Amino acid sequence: MKILRLLLLLPFLVLADGDDLYLLKGAKVFIADEGFVAKDILVDDGKIILVDDFIENIETGDVIDVQGKFITPGLLVFSSLGLLEIGALPETNDTGSDIYNAGFDPSRAYNPFSQAVRLNRSKGVTSTVNIPGASGYFSGMLTYTKINGGMKQKKQGPLGLVTSYGQSYNDSRAANLMYMEDLFSYVRTNHDDNYADMTQFMLGTTNEYKFTSRDFKAIKKVLDNEMPLVVKVNKATDILNVIKFAEAQEVDLILWEANEGHMVANEIAQAGVPVILDPLNNIPSTFDSLNATYENVTRLNDAGVVMAFYYEQGAGAHNAYLATQSAGNSVAMGLDYNEAISSITSNPADIFGLINVGYILPGYDADLVVWDNDPLELMSSVEMVMIDGEKQDLSNRYKELTDRYTKELDKPNSYRSRE
Amino acid sequence: MIKKLLAIFTALILFGCTEQTSTLFVGEAEGSVTNYENDTHGTYASTYVPLPSENTVIRNATVFDGDGNKFINYDIYFSDGKISAMGRDLVVESAKEIDGTGKYVTPGIIDNHSHMGVYPAPGVRTSSDGNEATSPNTAEVWAEHSVWSQDPQYKLALAGGITTFHVLPGSANLFGGRGVTLKNVSGNTVPDMKFPDVPHSLKMACGENPKRVYSSRGPSTRMGNVAGYRNAWIGAENHRDRLEKDPSHRDIKNETLVGVLDGEILVHNHCYRADEMATMINISQEFGYKVSTFHHGVEAYKIANLLADEGICAALWADWWGFKHEAYDMTIANIAIVDQARGGTGCAIVHSDSASGIQRLNQEAAKALAAGREAGFDISEERAMTWITKNPAKSLGILEKTGTLENGKDADIVIWSGNPFSVYSKAEQVYIDGALAFDKATNFMPHTDFDLGVKEWEGK
Repeated sequence: MKILRLLLLLPFLVLADGDDLYLLKGAKVFIADEGFVAKDILVDDGKIILVDDFIENIETGDVIDVQGKFITPGLLVFSSLGLLEIGALPETNDTGSDIYNAGFDPSRAYNPFSQAVRLNRSKGVTSTVNIPGASGYFSGMLTYTKINGGMKQKKQGPLGLVTSYGQSYNDSRAANLMYMEDLFSYVRTNHDDNYADMTQFMLGTTNEYKFTSRDFKAIKKVLDNEMPLVVKVNKATDILNVIKFAEAQEVDLILWEANEGHMVANEIAQAGVPVILDPLNNIPSTFDSLNATYENVTRLNDAGVVMAFYYEQGAGAHNAYLATQSAGNSVAMGLDYNEAISSITSNPADIFGLINVGYILPGYDADLVVWDNDPLELMSSVEMVMIDGEKQDLSNRYKELTDRYTKELDKPNSYRSRE
Repeated sequence: MIKKLLAIFTALILFGCTEQTSTLFVGEAEGSVTNYENDTHGTYASTYVPLPSENTVIRNATVFDGDGNKFINYDIYFSDGKISAMGRDLVVESAKEIDGTGKYVTPGIIDNHSHMGVYPAPGVRTSSDGNEATSPNTAEVWAEHSVWSQDPQYKLALAGGITTFHVLPGSANLFGGRGVTLKNVSGNTVPDMKFPDVPHSLKMACGENPKRVYSSRGPSTRMGNVAGYRNAWIGAENHRDRLEKDPSHRDIKNETLVGVLDGEILVHNHCYRADEMATMINISQEFGYKVSTFHHGVEAYKIANLLADEGICAALWADWWGFKHEAYDMTIANIAIVDQARGGTGCAIVHSDSASGIQRLNQEAAKALAAGREAGFDISEERAMTWITKNPAKSLGILEKTGTLENGKDADIVIWSGNPFSVYSKAEQVYIDGALAFDKATNFMPHTDFDLGVKEWEGK
């Protein structure tokens, strides 16, 4: 049996049965640091178990001919997928909280049946890191969620505590920095048991931020280096202040947005701080971003900064899959092609220390996307999506609406087929 | 902060929409006594003067003419700011020669839905001038009187090939006011940027925005919106009647509306839902005016045949959705379905409504084209090019001047590094009225006064 020969070749593999066994043959496969290379991929029981130049055909399981296709790791996006159905309807929006801030984990509200989840999955997204939107000093925690359909999702996290720093309608940015220092020092010098008694840090001042015990515990995780501080910041001088702050506090730091990051690229690189950004942010949309430019990605990359990309133009919350368009444009701006693909697959996995995702390597989760052409091109399409070794349904509501208004036109629209 | 940014973005898309007006011929013979002639050719006329240009021939390029055609190994010659000749191996005297081998040439890209200038960057309260959200009917306001001529966003759009854009008031009101069509040139005054001798427009808005903004005083429902439009048109008719007895009477709100009824001002109607667009068509029939273009139209595909029959354009996003309930029924095939309606007689437009999106209208068209093909339509790239050139020009009443590459038209031209439907292609040179306005290789582009002293890192 061929399967036996395979086992002889790979004595360390245990192929229990053919149920979840797939062999993807003949595609160009994205291997980090190498780019697209001709490889076959063997998937069993949700995991990639072999990636090789040539893998002998298997008898049990499915052999999938993907000759001439392109395979990437599933796209990892930063989005509100599953937490937000219609932006202007607060009752469908679970991204935020007025009760909690630092301790807020919006991923607990995840809705696998969101139409935005379906659309993005059909466009190659296999997982999301949520963007928290609590209204307090911190906007909440990041969690990684796989967006396979069904009631259960695999999650990893919490991955980071999100806040923002910079222009403010109220206090000076200097005061905001002092505030964060005082807050961290308070949390550092108090024990968990005391937190419950302090519903408000700096009681009696005009400060409006409230913290519950849950919030203090989340901040403590940052101080204990169990998760990084993720700061949305744009102005070059603010970025330097945030780096200095994180170093003084001895906490891990990730920068988010960083429109003026290119002006302090060397300092960011020297601090070993990764940056999450949309390469398309080139508008001086605030006084903190006067130096926004398309050159941000190339200048950060030249300095050696590790980046992950997201897409936030237009309806970014619903079209997170267009991270491919952001990445494609970054190539047009001069970024290395392989780096651009890595920035929407393996780099975010590395930045957050995610386990067994983001790469096409043996032992990793079989989160794979088959493309008919260059994944970064605007007119390429997704032909297959696999999450944890399961082929995903690629239907979505927009295709259903398209069919309804282009087929069976002799019938009233509401009596046409639903597929 | 994230929430704050989301709020700003939401405000922009929730309130972004307007209409345009067109030139009014107020000849005495017709007995019309509105002030339209003075509006367009008098006090508020364009003072635009093209940059100096030299006669130029682009050789051996792939040309999308914007009129649905593609020509290989083609030359295009422009002189005195106008397109003078197109063909193979053109013989021209004393022209600057540009090698277009491997390049693509298209008409200047036109965005018929922008808020640049009225929502300039940086987006601060003090220059947020796009919505006169003080009354459901502010037909009296003109976007050109809000436009900031130093908005640093224009040149970013220029780098994306935009040569003409239409600035609309926002969509808070049933009648948001007049829009203005600008050449993408720098000027110290707004008239210095105005596209000369082109129609004014009127922005109208359907649906959620007006009824939300005016929920406490009304309209607070969609039926309230419709009553508001109809009452306003009746008021305009009354104004027109009064002018016959009292020609010197001025009423700048009704002058805009009468301009529409007289067919001089073009209606640009923000409207998402199919059923509401159909209602707006009914209203136009009741009062005898024409809708030029529905904007945003996330459900336009549901009434694509109706739009084609009525000769109404639909200015659409490729893929925006979900930010409002009325923007929920999105299909990326929307633009293609509208385009292909009634045997391909539909008028589909890719618009931006975004200072970021306007920089990549070609990419938005590419995504819409791909979805159209996926839906089974046989649509060529040269056809899709009309969505960002000819059709928006038609929608704005400027097609006889720009929007396609034809002899005698303004030499508004983009040279692309490669196929403009590829994410990797960039506008390399942009010509406006035959004058080089942007050159990627030499970093030649206009810098507004606001830019001074900011980007000191550039070139380092």
